[in-house]
Amino acid sequence: MSGIIAFLRRFYFFVLFIILEIISLAFVFTNNYYHQAGFFNSSNRITGTVYTAYSGVTSYFNLKNINHQLAEENIHLLNLASEIKDTSTHKKLPKTNPFGQQFNFILAEVIDNSTNLPNNYITLNAGTEQGIGEGMGVISPSGIAGIVTKASSHYSVVMSLLHKKALVSAMFKKSGTFGTLAWGDKMDYRFATLTQIPMSEKVKIGDTIVTSGYSNVFPKGIMVGVVDDFKSIPELYFYVVHVKLSIDFKNIKYVYVVSDLKKIEKTELETNAENSLNEKVK
Amino acid sequence: MIIEAGKNILRFLFFILLQVTIIRHMDMGIYFNPFLFVGAILMLPLRLDKTLVLFIAFTTGLIIDMFYNTMGMNAAACTFMAFCRPSVLRFYSPAGDYNADATATVGSMGIRWMISYAGTLIFLHHLVLFYLEMFSFHNFFTTLLKVILSGVATLILLLVTQSLLFRKAS
Repeated sequence: MSGIIAFLRRFYFFVLFIILEIISLAFVFTNNYYHQAGFFNSSNRITGTVYTAYSGVTSYFNLKNINHQLAEENIHLLNLASEIKDTSTHKKLPKTNPFGQQFNFILAEVIDNSTNLPNNYITLNAGTEQGIGEGMGVISPSGIAGIVTKASSHYSVVMSLLHKKALVSAMFKKSGTFGTLAWGDKMDYRFATLTQIPMSEKVKIGDTIVTSGYSNVFPKGIMVGVVDDFKSIPELYFYVVHVKLSIDFKNIKYVYVVSDLKKIEKTELETNAENSLNEKVK
Repeated sequence: MIIEAGKNILRFLFFILLQVTIIRHMDMGIYFNPFLFVGAILMLPLRLDKTLVLFIAFTTGLIIDMFYNTMGMNAAACTFMAFCRPSVLRFYSPAGDYNADATATVGSMGIRWMISYAGTLIFLHHLVLFYLEMFSFHNFFTTLLKVILSGVATLILLLVTQSLLFRKAS
């Protein structure tokens, strides 16, 4: 016993250092996809207040760009609205919502954002009180932006598309061939990589890539970007496609959080089906 | 004593706010990613108890982690830096040890001492932080280049900040 005490007295500084390192590394390694340690992220009140104050000052600098983006989106929506009014094109409209509204969009303001780290996050000034929940998709007027990882009552943290763990199911708009979109190869905020595209697909530079809607996070058909370059991996029969993202991550101010109203129903159905299948097997 | 502690706390607040508002948004590409806030830990009194420095560094790291959403990475890097600080101080100690009122500033210790002391510790901090952030040795040399370039940027920013704001502290 006295030996242990003598040891601790002699090496207490080193032991303390090891303990603190273990605590910090435990934080790093338990940082799971959706289950982050409650306090240590930027959705708490302290960071929220600092970021809101900072964003209040700096938001004036890129107002011109933001206005332009919003005006463009207005034009796009006006065009869509005029198409709907014109009854002759009614037949062409896809019947996306035969049973009522599926998606609800919640407006949020970006109060913090980074683009040059290996894992980037976006902080929004809206939280659970506005209806935001973990796992929801975030889109901007020009394309998809990320996935909500943590929401407090008034703030939420979004895993940006510029994050090593952010994977999105995306497809070619013209053919519907889908693959997995990821970021991190070159760590360039303008590009992402689409993998697992079968070689039967006729890829052309300039092809439009949109979300596939298979992952329950984003609605189908939201803009992602255009094909910038691609190469084949013959041994796997796959193409690896470099996508130029349509969203400008350096200029995002207003985003929409997508709340899927039928997600609960869908997951319930899926788990029920799985359970009944398991029972039958027994 | 209380005035001295107050000065140190104010310096910490200043460096942390500077880091999370201005430096975090200075966009200089992926290779230049300075972490100036370590200057607050470097500028703690040289005679301060090393255990206390260890705890201060750990807490500061956690606060920065909160703003960066890096969860523990900065805490790990800062704790490591604080652990190495006594050895680095001993290594660079001038003949006849440090004066009782010596501070880690250019005015007090000279530019050469400051560059070697701050440079070494900043390098160690960035080394742990960036490799933890990449979480692999896959891009070993890219990450090493990033450690060096960001470290130089941090050192220059620290020297500039000191010469502009902390001249009287020496």
